[in-house]
Order: sequence, then C-alpha cells, then structure tokens
Amino acid sequence: MLNWFKRRRKKNSSYETNEEWIEALKPPVDEQAVKKLRAQLIRGLKPALHKYVDRELDQFVEDVAQDALLKVLDNIDSFRGESKLLTWAMKIAVREGLTELRLKRYDDISIEDLKPDDESREVFSLSVASDDTSPERSLHESQLVDKVLQIINEELTQKQKTAINALMIQGLPMPVVVKQLDTNRNALYKLVHDARVKIKNKLEVEGIDPDEMLNKL
Amino acid sequence: MELTPKILKNLIKSAQMATAHEIGCDECFDELHKFAEMELAGKSPAEAKPLVQDHLNKCGSCREEYEALLEGLRALQNGH
Repeated sequence: MLNWFKRRRKKNSSYETNEEWIEALKPPVDEQAVKKLRAQLIRGLKPALHKYVDRELDQFVEDVAQDALLKVLDNIDSFRGESKLLTWAMKIAVREGLTELRLKRYDDISIEDLKPDDESREVFSLSVASDDTSPERSLHESQLVDKVLQIINEELTQKQKTAINALMIQGLPMPVVVKQLDTNRNALYKLVHDARVKIKNKLEVEGIDPDEMLNKL
Repeated sequence: MELTPKILKNLIKSAQMATAHEIGCDECFDELHKFAEMELAGKSPAEAKPLVQDHLNKCGSCREEYEALLEGLRALQNGH
C-alpha cells in the first residue's frame, strides 16, 4: 500500500531535483522516471556518439541507453548528489557507448593479426630507424636507443615491458592490449604509469636530462 | 619492428611527464561528472581538480569519453 502511494506521488513529479530522481529510481522504481531518464539519455547520446557511429545511430543509442539505465539503477545508491543526476547518468551512458564501440572496432580484427610478425623480437632487439642517415646523427640515436632499452630491460618487470612494447612501441590500441593482457583499463594505466616513473627515476639517477635526449633526436 | 626516433621521443616524453601522484582511469571516472559540470558552468575544473586534468591529458580513452560527454551535455543544455 505504501509503495502504491509512493508511486502515485512520484508520477506527479517533474524530477527536477536530485532528491526527486533518487527517490524515483530507488526500488520500487518509478517507471515514468525511468522513461524520462531514458529519453534524456538518448537525446544526449546522439550528439555525443554520432561521429563514432556510421550507421543505425538511433538503434545503437537506444541499446546503449537501455544498458546504461540498468547500471544507473544498480548504482543509484552510490550517487552522492555532487552533480545533477542527469550528468552522472550521462557519464555512465557515454562510457557504456564508447566501450561498446571500441569492442566492436576491434572485434573484426583477430588478436593474432595485431601481434608482431616475429614474437621473438622483444624490446631489447629493436633497431633504430631514421630518415636522417648522417653517421653522427645515427650514432647519437643509437646510443640513446641503447640507453633507453637498457633501462627498460633492467628496471621494468616482464609485464611492464610487455605493456610498454604493445602500447608505445607497436602502437596497439588500449582495448586490444587490455584484452591481450587479460586486465582492465585502470590496471593497465597504473602498470604503465609505474613503468614510466621507473624510467624517469633511472634517468635522474644516471644524471641524464630527458630534454637533452629529446634535443638529440 | 623498428624503434623509430618518433617512438623513442614518445617513450622519453611519456617518462618525463610521469609524476608520482597520477590518478588512474577509475579515479578519473569518479570525478568526471563534477569536472564536466564545472566546465559547462564556465569555472576552471583544471585548477580545481588538477589530477583529473593531468589524467585527461595523458589518457586518450578517458579524454575521448570526456569530450563525448561534454558534447552530449551541451546538446541537452541547449535543448537539442
């Protein structure tokens, strides 16, 4: 009976405040509020994602809005009212949409296709490629490459080397590397961050100025 | 696979830009709705939340999501 009153009251609400939204989206969920939020998400997702979707934008956006709504409802207790509820929900929906698009983008490409031709070629065996063929220049570059590779090989863990190799040397997209390493984006960022800090610290310890290195390239 | 000067530069720059207190993608995501509203209100989120700005500068995936979020929110604001 109480729920019936609650629903009746909510149906007359315009959902202008966060309190009204939270009340309406907590169980028992007010279907009218869900409908309104879905419509707003769809309206915001179209301009947010249009440049990434080449066909059937409407259908894609509707599917994303539906998936995002489920996440919003599941996580409504974690919304702390630090922004408008719609902003928070849009954030969830945009990530949902772009994650889906990234997965689709690389779905047709086999992970095997993205691996280097010869897997035995690890970081330490890379060679220098330069348009500038002057001997002096090549010598500088060769020394720099040797130094950077030495640091990578001596300071980084195997996992960090694999991540740096995949992301920064082979230039593989992040979602592909996440899949390859069976990890998630946050963990991969942290892994590479720790590796970058190690390289930076080692350069400092050895008295090597990165700016000077960059100028020589 | 060759280590071109461009790749080498990116590696060195990326190490040079590394700071001890960088936040990850999850912490950035936790702040993104507040960051976006500040930007839409004409405030300076980069000053208020420098770690979020730093992460957005360094992480292409989070930056892409933030820019798309702003597009969507602007359209909603303008009544599109």
